[in-house]
Amino acid sequence: MTPQALLETAVLLGFFVLAGGGYAGLYSIGRLRANIGLVRAGALCWFTAFGIALVVAAATPLDAGWKLFILASALVYAAIPPMTWRYLERLHDDHSPEGAGQ
Amino acid sequence: MYRSQKLSLRYFGAAVALFGVMIVFGLLSALYYLHPSLLFDVFNFSTSKTLHIDTLVIWLLMGFLGAVYWYLPKELGREVEGMWLAELMFWIFCIAVAIVAAVFIFVQYGSSNEFTLWFINQGRKYVEAPRWATIGIVAVMAVFAYNVVATCIKAHKMTGIMWVLVIDLVPLLVVYLDAFPAITNMSVDLYWWWWLVHMWVESTWEVLIGCVMALVLMDVMGTSRRIVEAWLYIEVMLVLGAGILGLGHHYFWIGTPEYWLSIGGFFSALEPLPLLGMVVHAIYDAGTHRMKTTNRPAFYWITAEAFGNFIGAGIWGFMMTLPQINLFSHGTQWTVSHGHFAFWGAYACGVIAVLYVAKQQVSGVNFLDGRAWKWGFGLLNLGMIGMVMGLLLAGMAQAFFGRAIGGSTLMAFTTASENPWFVSGIYARFFFGVIFAAGYVVLVYDLLTAPKHLPMPQATPEPA
Repeated sequence: MTPQALLETAVLLGFFVLAGGGYAGLYSIGRLRANIGLVRAGALCWFTAFGIALVVAAATPLDAGWKLFILASALVYAAIPPMTWRYLERLHDDHSPEGAGQ
Repeated sequence: MYRSQKLSLRYFGAAVALFGVMIVFGLLSALYYLHPSLLFDVFNFSTSKTLHIDTLVIWLLMGFLGAVYWYLPKELGREVEGMWLAELMFWIFCIAVAIVAAVFIFVQYGSSNEFTLWFINQGRKYVEAPRWATIGIVAVMAVFAYNVVATCIKAHKMTGIMWVLVIDLVPLLVVYLDAFPAITNMSVDLYWWWWLVHMWVESTWEVLIGCVMALVLMDVMGTSRRIVEAWLYIEVMLVLGAGILGLGHHYFWIGTPEYWLSIGGFFSALEPLPLLGMVVHAIYDAGTHRMKTTNRPAFYWITAEAFGNFIGAGIWGFMMTLPQINLFSHGTQWTVSHGHFAFWGAYACGVIAVLYVAKQQVSGVNFLDGRAWKWGFGLLNLGMIGMVMGLLLAGMAQAFFGRAIGGSTLMAFTTASENPWFVSGIYARFFFGVIFAAGYVVLVYDLLTAPKHLPMPQATPEPA
C-alpha cells in the first residue's frame, strides 16, 4: 500500500460509514416527519455509500476479501434502517399504551 | 430517598471530581507534545498520561456504580442489601484512589522489583495502580456484586434488566482479575492484557451501560419496559456475537498468529451495522418522546451518546480497523482520536445523563431545563469534536510520514512529529481541550446550582 493509498482508503472507509449513517438518519427523520423528500435524501446517501464501496473495490489496494466484505456491507446497510423502523413500530404498537407509529 | 441513592450521590460527586482531574492531566499531557521539555526532571509525561487514562477508567466506573446504586432500589422496590458494606467500600475506594494518585504524582516510579509492583506502579498500561489498590478494586467490585445479587434475592424479584446486570457481574468481577498477571513474555502478556481492555472495559462495560441506559430511558422518556428490555437483549446478543471476537483487532502486531488479522478485522468491521440501527432507534425515540421528557439535559445527553457512539466507534473505528490500514495507524494519534470519541460516545455521555437524572430528583423539580446545561453540552461536545479532529489530523500525519513513507524508524517518528500537519493537529487538540475544560466547568456549575421551577411541558411521560 502506498502512502497516498493508505490515506485515500482510510478516508473512503470513513465516508462509507458516514454515508451509511446519513442514510439511517435522514431515512428515520423522513419517516418520523412523514417527509418523502428526506427519505429520498436518505436513499441518495445510501447510493453514495454504495458508490464509495464500488470505488473501494475498484481503486484501493485492499485484499479481495475485504472488498467483497465492504460491498456486502453496503447491501446490508440498505436494509437496516427500514427493518429497524418496522421493528420499532411493531414493538411500540404491541407494547406501548400510546403506540408510537407516526 | 433511599440510603443507596445517597451513596450514589457520593459516587457521582467523586466521579465528577475525577472527571476534572482527568481533564487537568489530559491538558498537561497535551502540553508535553507542544513543549517536550516541560517540567523536565520534575514530572514526566508518562505519569501525566497514566493519571489521565486511569482517572478516565475510575470516574466512569464510579459513575456506573453510582447509577446502579441509584436505580437498584427503584427497580426492586426495596433498599439495597448490605448498605453499610457498600458505604465502607466507597470510602475505601476514594482513599485508595487518592493514595495512588499521590504516589503517582510524588513518587512516580521505582526500581524493577516486587516493592514497586505492590506499592508504586504495577507497570501494566491502564491498570498501573499498585497491586494493593488493584486488590482494593476487586473488593469494591465484589461488594457491589453482593449488593446487587443479595438485593434481588431479598426482594424476590427479577426483571429482565436485572438478569442482564447480574449475569454481567460475573465478567465484571472475573475479567478484572486479568489486571494481576506479570508475565515476562510480552506477546503472551499483551494477549491476556487485551482481555482486560477489550472484554472488561469494552464488552462488559457496554452491557453495564446498556442496563443503566435502559433504566434511564424508562425514567426520562417513559419508554416501556418491554421495549428497552428487547433492545437490551439485542445488545447482549451483539456483544456475544461480534464483540467478543472483535477482540481480535487488538491482536494485530503483538506476535499473535496471522489468523487474528482476519478474525479481528471481520468482527470489528461488523460493528457499524448495529450502530446504524442505533441511529434509527435514537431518532425514533427522540421524535416520539422529545416533547414529553421532563428532563431536557438528560434527554440530550442520551441522544448525544447514540450519535457519539456511532461516529466515534463506527466511523472512526472503521477507518482504521482493516489490517492493511491498521498496520500504519496502530498506536498513532489516530488511535487516540478513535479512543477519545468512542469513550465519549459510548460511556461518558451516558454517565452525564444519569447525573442530570439524579439532579432532577434531588432538587425536586418536575421539569428540568435551563440555559447553563446547554452551554455545558455545547462546549463539551464542541471541545471533544475539535480534539478528535486535531488528533485525527496528527495521527494521519504520523501514519503517512512516519510509518508509510518513513518506514517506522525512530528518525521517521521524529520527522513526523515535527511535520506541520502533526504540529497543527496537536495545537488544535490543546485548544479544543481548553474548550472542553470550559464545558466541564459549566457542567459542574450547572449540576451544583439549584434549578428554577419551570412549568411542566404539556405532555409528560407515561410511567414505565
